[in-house]
Amino acid sequence: MDHPDTASTSGIVLEGVRKEFPGGVVAVRDISLEVQPGELVVLVGPSGCGKSTTLRMVAGLEAVTAGEVRIAGRVVTGLPPRHRDIAMIFQNYALYAHMTVRANMGFGLKMAGTPKRETRARVDQAADILGITDLLDRKPRQLSGGQRQRVAMGRAIVREPAAFLMDEPLSNLDAKLRVEMRAEILNVHRRIGAPTLYVTHDQTEAMTMGDRVAILRDGALEQIGTPLELYERPGTVFVAGFIGSPAMNLLPVTLERSGDGWYASVGGSRVLIPPRARAALRPFAGHEVLLGLRPEDFVSTENMRDGEHGVIQVTTARAESLGSELVVYFSINGAAASRPLTARLDRRTAVREGTSTRIGVDLERLYFFDPESGAAIR
Amino acid sequence: MTHSSAARLLRTVAIAATILWSLAPIGLGVATSLSTQADVQAVPARWLPGHATLDPYRSLLGGTSGSHAGGTVSESGAFAHAMWNSASITLMSTLAILCVAISAGYASARLRFPGCGALFRAIVATTVVPVFTVVIALFQLMADAHLIDHKLGLVLVFVSTTTPLAMWLVHNHVKELPAEPEEAALIDGCTRWQAFRHVVVPQMRSGIAALSALVVLSVWGEFLIPLLLTSTSAGKPVTVLIPEYVGKYTTNYPLLAAAGILALLPPAIVALVLNRHVRGMLSGSS
Repeated sequence: MDHPDTASTSGIVLEGVRKEFPGGVVAVRDISLEVQPGELVVLVGPSGCGKSTTLRMVAGLEAVTAGEVRIAGRVVTGLPPRHRDIAMIFQNYALYAHMTVRANMGFGLKMAGTPKRETRARVDQAADILGITDLLDRKPRQLSGGQRQRVAMGRAIVREPAAFLMDEPLSNLDAKLRVEMRAEILNVHRRIGAPTLYVTHDQTEAMTMGDRVAILRDGALEQIGTPLELYERPGTVFVAGFIGSPAMNLLPVTLERSGDGWYASVGGSRVLIPPRARAALRPFAGHEVLLGLRPEDFVSTENMRDGEHGVIQVTTARAESLGSELVVYFSINGAAASRPLTARLDRRTAVREGTSTRIGVDLERLYFFDPESGAAIR
Repeated sequence: MTHSSAARLLRTVAIAATILWSLAPIGLGVATSLSTQADVQAVPARWLPGHATLDPYRSLLGGTSGSHAGGTVSESGAFAHAMWNSASITLMSTLAILCVAISAGYASARLRFPGCGALFRAIVATTVVPVFTVVIALFQLMADAHLIDHKLGLVLVFVSTTTPLAMWLVHNHVKELPAEPEEAALIDGCTRWQAFRHVVVPQMRSGIAALSALVVLSVWGEFLIPLLLTSTSAGKPVTVLIPEYVGKYTTNYPLLAAAGILALLPPAIVALVLNRHVRGMLSGSS
């Protein structure tokens, strides 16, 4: 059944992969992406976006309606999971409840007919890597959530598969443990170096863990790139709103030309658009576009510098001090009431709730989007 | 008396009544089985045996000291043979029903193939057909197949009448199990069958124990079908033999009671053993 690979990659390759469920529901729309050896690619998106279905198609747990899946240079589209040479880690651990930790970890090797002595040695080694040697004789029900997920990882790495698949592996853990296990998974991933496809709904997890992040929306690939690329250059308004926490502020503004300057006008305020952004915005002159402002790109009045920052007249509704910074919720004076905007300001900023004030915005960090298509204008 | 203590008293009385209702006939049976015929027929009635005797048990189990007080004589070994028939029919039926129901119930809950839903519903729908509506046809069928008075005939009938219900129960049980462990097994190199054997069946242990108890009890207690399909000791189970101890003119009540108590023991032991297993599994999994 081995097909010679025409592309040169030995990682995980999806080509036009599509999933239609009976009844015509399209869960995944022609997704193409590639995970290089040693790379960790995160599939992220809101629930129902098709990320888990995509992963399950790579695993062979769901049939592919159209398209091709290749793993380590082999076409595996029609193969059952056991012939794909993969390991998968599940959200709810999916341990074999009636077996000891050692039997859980060695199960795959036993099925493959590996000699007992070798199985034992490899399980011991994996347990050592994960620090679970003293748990080997326990049953899963005697373990905590974090320990169970370590065992699940141990079961995956013992088999030395050609690819790793992870389906929300940290979602059942509490916040502190999640951060710990994030580092743990990355350590193991770097050590093993196998291509890894990782599914999560949590954008922080995606940003911190992915070498690259693929954002899915309604079953289609919205954008793929490094975390920084997605943050700096979101291709659509959806990606812009999804990446970053708190989320990017999006507000409708009118593009106005006055004298030799271009302005984005909202409420009673006007923000000067820097010259390099003007070319792309020309077709929208006089029309409404969506302006995106990240909360971290605002500055307080006392930190504003002429030419670098635009000024907006706002009314602060609420200010929350996180100690390290101040999160301010505000509305723009004269603009139609909508959801309050968010700004992250220097922690020493003095803000009086309910008062009118001026706030600065970094002119180099304005994002514009076509209100019709949602595409970035740049 | 406060409201809560009144409620407690009421509950205690209700529980005591239920226990009495369930156990009194058995207690009376035990007492009768240890009595002589004379004790049983005494007027006024004597509830406890005057002189406890194991003679009824001896004569049932083929002992030589048969005192035929009441006149009804048990054929030597007939009772033991009927017990053996019951046991072997129950064992064979239960094994067959469990094998078919567990794999079919699993398949109907997990596998997707054209017509799977319709097939499942059709099989389950047969559980609503009362047995007595088909007994005449069933008798004809068994007679044509030369399976009258044959244990295999009874086993076949029990398997076909009990499997749909058992399969339905397994189906619902499997639906409640998480699918991920078997998916993990499929990825770990198992075929569907291996995943079923190594991961699904062990997960279902408590359910299988409960189902086994249900099937054993219902097959052991079957009366109508064996009455219809057996006529000699070759295939007759104990449920059909016992009523024959009721004579036309006299009835050996101690013998009848002893037979009833003996016939009660195997299913009671099975229920006790499996019950402990069911509880053990449930406490282990949560």
